[in-house]
Amino acid sequence: MHGYALVKHIQQVSGDLLQIEEGSLYPALQRMLKEGWLESKAGISAKGRPTRIYRLTAAGGRRLEQEVSSFEKMLAGITRVLAVAPH
Amino acid sequence: MRWILQLFSRRRRYDDLSVSIQEHLQEKTEELMETGLSPEEAMQRARRDFGNITLIEEQSREAWQWPAVESVWADMRYGLRQLRKAPVFAITVVLTMALGIGANTAIFTLVHAVLLKSLPVGDPQSLYRLGDKQEGSLTAGTQNPDGDFDVFSYRLYRHLRQSTPEFVELAAMQIGPNPIGVRRGSDIPVTQASEFVSGNYFRTLGVSAFAGRTLTDDDDRLGAPPSAVMSYQAWQTQYAGDPTVIGATFYLQSQPVRIVGIAAAGFYGDRVSLDPPAFWIPLAAEPLLLGANSTLDHADECWLYALGRVRPGTALGPLQEKISATLRQWLLVEDAYVRSGIAKIAPKFHVVLTPAGRGIQDLQQQTGRELYLLLAISGLVLLVACANVANLLLARGAKRKIEISMRIALGAARRRLIRQMLTESVLLGCMGGLAGLAVACAGTRFILALAYPGAAHAAIQTAPSAAVLGFAFLLSLLTGVMFGMAPAWIISHGDPAEALRSGARLAGDRTGAAQRWLIVVQTALSLALLAGAGMLTRSLLNLEHQDFGLRTANRYVLHLDPQGAGYGPEQLPALIRALDRKFGAIPWVERVGVALSSPLDTGQWSFQVSIPGRPDPGPNAQEVLMDRVTPDFFVAVGQPVIRGRAFTLHDAGGSPPVALVSQAFVRRYFPGEDPLGKRFGNYGPEDTAACEIVGVVADAKYADPRRPAPAMFFRPILQWQETLTDPTSISIENLSHYFGAMVLSVRATPRDFESTVRRTLAGVNPNLSVIDLHSFQFAVASNLNPERLMARLTALFGLLTLAVAAVGLYGVTSYQVSQRSREIGLRMACGAGRGRVVRLVLRGALTPVALGLALGIPVVLIGAGFLSHMLYLVKSYDPVSLAVAGLVLAGAAAIAGWIPARRAAAIDPVRALGSE
Repeated sequence: MHGYALVKHIQQVSGDLLQIEEGSLYPALQRMLKEGWLESKAGISAKGRPTRIYRLTAAGGRRLEQEVSSFEKMLAGITRVLAVAPH
Repeated sequence: MRWILQLFSRRRRYDDLSVSIQEHLQEKTEELMETGLSPEEAMQRARRDFGNITLIEEQSREAWQWPAVESVWADMRYGLRQLRKAPVFAITVVLTMALGIGANTAIFTLVHAVLLKSLPVGDPQSLYRLGDKQEGSLTAGTQNPDGDFDVFSYRLYRHLRQSTPEFVELAAMQIGPNPIGVRRGSDIPVTQASEFVSGNYFRTLGVSAFAGRTLTDDDDRLGAPPSAVMSYQAWQTQYAGDPTVIGATFYLQSQPVRIVGIAAAGFYGDRVSLDPPAFWIPLAAEPLLLGANSTLDHADECWLYALGRVRPGTALGPLQEKISATLRQWLLVEDAYVRSGIAKIAPKFHVVLTPAGRGIQDLQQQTGRELYLLLAISGLVLLVACANVANLLLARGAKRKIEISMRIALGAARRRLIRQMLTESVLLGCMGGLAGLAVACAGTRFILALAYPGAAHAAIQTAPSAAVLGFAFLLSLLTGVMFGMAPAWIISHGDPAEALRSGARLAGDRTGAAQRWLIVVQTALSLALLAGAGMLTRSLLNLEHQDFGLRTANRYVLHLDPQGAGYGPEQLPALIRALDRKFGAIPWVERVGVALSSPLDTGQWSFQVSIPGRPDPGPNAQEVLMDRVTPDFFVAVGQPVIRGRAFTLHDAGGSPPVALVSQAFVRRYFPGEDPLGKRFGNYGPEDTAACEIVGVVADAKYADPRRPAPAMFFRPILQWQETLTDPTSISIENLSHYFGAMVLSVRATPRDFESTVRRTLAGVNPNLSVIDLHSFQFAVASNLNPERLMARLTALFGLLTLAVAAVGLYGVTSYQVSQRSREIGLRMACGAGRGRVVRLVLRGALTPVALGLALGIPVVLIGAGFLSHMLYLVKSYDPVSLAVAGLVLAGAAAIAGWIPARRAAAIDPVRALGSE
């Protein structure tokens, strides 16, 4: 997926709940590239123009799992706290 | 490994990034257009939503960089490019900084070599000296009023060495340079510096031999075959590194001595000195070399420093106490001291242990203050240079205002801009530093020659060492930051919109104010330097043109060493008469005077004087200078006898002892009395009435030209006091007949003057070597070398600063004129005359100068306090120097302002107004 597609994808999938600040995407992508979580190669955008396609690497996938599980743990924790909280 | 790959793939990454962002913007624009926006609106909206593109690209790239290092590298390349574009600016700055940094580095080289460097010996930190002050001549050691003991007799040294096991080794060395006559085979004898040292000297210092061996305790035993170690420096310069020197027999003071080795190459002795020893000779050889003048066995003749290596872990406080106690006990039982009444004052005597890793601090104590003062003065020069460069940077920054505003408007971070401008100024500083090193290399030799003229510089290295290079580099960095900080801050904090709107017209008020304040600072510092230079120069002139009480014109001083030629005391009268006769026979010689020492020689003799019927002076009494002279000496030096009679040839041998005294002597001892016929003695209790005063000579400066003429007495050099019984007194009486100087007053100076003098001397005895031969004027003037150095260097630095400040003012004023050309054109179009314009510009230029002058006065008054101890008959608030410095500065400022003011007045109003 290329940069702008990513922005739109996140926006659509989250039903406009999550809006990425467009500019901040690129520094984040570069840092993930550097860590080896992403790889990039030349490709063609949906409109037929050259762009760069970013794809998750194996290391990136592992990292994602870690992040997801830690996020789920935190979410579970928060949920429990909220559940017992007096209304 | 990965980072190397990343380094190579980075260029591709950056391209990828740009492509991605471009595509992002395009897709977004197209989408927005589909919603009905016009292409322009869509493009603007897309960009606005995205944010600051440049900044985001930069931040994204930073993921791949070592941010600090890389952006500095980029800044440096950018800076170099900028400087290449403005070569005149770059060269001006580099030259200004080169002068500032060069002056500082040159002075620091001296400070480092003389004051900061350790001796080139093994483990200098564990070396300690017994004592802390410098002593110039043979004394009893008791002369310091506070009881501080710094010098030791041989017997006292032996005693202390045996009683202090806390020292791994305790060595002794002669206090002053000991010039000796040196002859190899049948060569002509030359005079060279030597030092008597104890046998463990080299072992104590941890210095090995370059060739052969060093001295040992066996060499320092009475009766051992006489031996000596030669310095590497002397071996190379005097004997061209001839290997047969090692083991050869030389004649030192006409006595055969075997050279057992050459000391390590870099070793110059136990102190930084201007005339380092060429020979180190064991103390045991002293009686052989000095013959009847030996003082090795006299318990109260102190002529040795003691320096030792303390055992690790020894507490210094208790050790110092122990040595002091040992000293006091020894003084109380030693006959020579007991006789002089030591018991009364013995409790106050003590020894101060001082670190000796940098050697004995004689030269440091003499010149340390001056060197630090010079360092401070050169620091002021650098400050002025920095202010000047800061000003140039401000002017340049104002010119680049549009570029910088543009960059800020395009999203460049302020901090990044400041860093980049600082990089540029540090770069300039470093380039200035490099050029400064070249200035320093040349400058150090020049200053050294000025500071210590005629010295053999073995001990003072002028080649830049690691410490000096480090100093210059740090200084460059520091100055770069110093002169770059303010401009960078001011320039990067302008309002970009304002600057862009108004075009190149506005200099910005902040820039202008900063520039004016820098002129104020420059002016104040320049005033301080110029006024200081003025005071020191006036002081030097006062010293040079004072009344020494002597006639120096058409006179020459010859120093020689009869002891080195092997003369015994009983042969001296014949030698003096022979010299008198031979030199007197030269047609152009008017008078010949032979003396123990000539006026203003170093190492004048002094004695305590006792007068019959008055209380014993005691060991602490003020001493009186003494000289022994021939009858014609006073005429030869031009010192009039104002009462009584001069010496005659009948004041010789065992005739009744007579003396002449100076007016200051009369004032001190016989105020309001007739001194003629009065008697005094100079050998303590045994001869209080030995000498009869037969005449009074006018006061003359024999010792320190900065002090009033000293109280003095003169004795005939042909006369002996034969009634003495004390062995020390007899030895001193003999020693005081070994004349060291001859003064010739001449009718003319023929071309073959010097060769005639040498030939005549060789005609008396070929073993008599000339130590030096100078005009009396030169000999007197060389006493003022430190003052001359300070005056010349501060004058040099002052003029340097003046030039820098004037150029700075000129630059700033012309810049301001160019910025205000439209305003000036407008004024002229409205009827302002050229005179008015000139006045307008001059007022702008001279107001900060006037303020600087006003602020400079208190700076001068404070700074001059540090100079006061160097000033002779000049007050530290000397109004003349201050006025002259102020006038010179104002004059230079007027010229520097006048040129741009004239240019302003020549502005054509039509063209100036039409230029927009």
